[in-house]
Amino acid sequence: MTSADPEMTGLFKLFAIMCMAASLSLPCSAQELRVPSSAIAGEAATIPTTGSGNATFYLMGPGTAKKSDVTLGEEIHLPSPDLQYAGNYSAILCSNSCSSANFYVTAAKPAAMIFLVHPSRVPVAQGDAVSGVAFPFDRYHNLVTAPLNVNFQLTAKDATLWSRSVRTQDSVAWFRTNSGNSAGPVQAIASLDDEPVRRVVQQVASEPCNLRITGERTRAGILVQTEPVHDCVGNIVPDGTIVTFTSTGPDGKGTVDAPIKQGVARAKIESPGASTISVASGVVLGNEIRVGAQP
Amino acid sequence: MRRTIVNLKSASVAAILSVAGLLLCCPLHSYAADNAVQVELDVKKAAPRAVEDLTERSILRDYRFAWLTMSRALEFNSPDFLEGAFAGDVKGMLTQTVASQQRSHLSRRYSDQSHRVEAVFYAPEGDVMELHDTAEYQLQLLDGDKALINEHVVVHYVVLMTPAADRWVVRQLQAVPRF
Repeated sequence: MTSADPEMTGLFKLFAIMCMAASLSLPCSAQELRVPSSAIAGEAATIPTTGSGNATFYLMGPGTAKKSDVTLGEEIHLPSPDLQYAGNYSAILCSNSCSSANFYVTAAKPAAMIFLVHPSRVPVAQGDAVSGVAFPFDRYHNLVTAPLNVNFQLTAKDATLWSRSVRTQDSVAWFRTNSGNSAGPVQAIASLDDEPVRRVVQQVASEPCNLRITGERTRAGILVQTEPVHDCVGNIVPDGTIVTFTSTGPDGKGTVDAPIKQGVARAKIESPGASTISVASGVVLGNEIRVGAQP
Repeated sequence: MRRTIVNLKSASVAAILSVAGLLLCCPLHSYAADNAVQVELDVKKAAPRAVEDLTERSILRDYRFAWLTMSRALEFNSPDFLEGAFAGDVKGMLTQTVASQQRSHLSRRYSDQSHRVEAVFYAPEGDVMELHDTAEYQLQLLDGDKALINEHVVVHYVVLMTPAADRWVVRQLQAVPRF
């Protein structure tokens, strides 16, 4: 452009003068809001404005719905309590017309974890019997969606039985593993940095193994009792586990259920004739003994 | 006198028709409102546990109900609608949102909702499920009766649901820029 059209120059001048005059009271047009591009939950933010005069500002998002009077040309301050929930927010500025923009607030750094462990009581030596699920959250209870390493550990009496580091995928890390060989409490631990979350799983003896009985005839009948009942890895089977004694003799068949007490189950069977006595607990069968008839 | 009787009869008929109209209108309104929330659920990628058919139907029903009740709570500024469908932190957040709206005389209206939901995680013991919802809806933000915004939006939500006594409840509902 080498020379300006005098008519066009006049129009520009007129427009500029109108804008300057109007800017004293109202902005020339709706503003384009420059909202935060990367807001973090719980951190204050600002939105700049241009022009002059008064306007109404609205902030609507998760946990927040606010309306306030603002002065154009000054920054709009978004205090941290208004941005504590992660999610999408709408910022709206209205003077003679409204303009709006949306922005996201993302979770702050992880500060807590939901850690679910199952089951609370598990038999020893079971494959894939223990599982745990961990979701990381920030201090405002927002789910942390950025990938993180969660360290899982199973410990018993300060000894580590199993450990694994799992990176969160879709905000969740999980594991599944076998139960240990020893009965007793086991701690399941999930940790992010130095903040462990602990859960306790009680490991109990599995099904009885090598169930054996002895018996003798007395005046009152046949007294039978088990040897100390263990599972296949040597844990004493918990008290209360039911053992079933079955006698077969000339009088027919009879059964007696007896709970294990201090590792041993005892029963008295009233059968005057010679009897064969067998034992079972759950699906496990033990030995058979034969006891002679009452003299 | 006859005119009075005729007028009375007319009034009675009008009243009966009004009540009938109300009775007919209410279910139609509910039906329309229910239909305003469309949810499609895909559970094929759920892991490590596969989603059972019955669970899939429950999730579909309860997630749709959650959006329906949340929309009503935020439109009418009534936290009572939040009972039943939400639990834990998300319920607190929504209750706070309603209270904040009440104080500022603001509200938001969700309409023409369409949710494409994918189950991405189902815990080994079935006690928590994570969903990714790509939601599309018409969003109106209102100051009293004045609409400040009326726009069609697409929002991605990360959702955690857990089983309660007789339904699945939403425990986390968090919008994210992308999955």
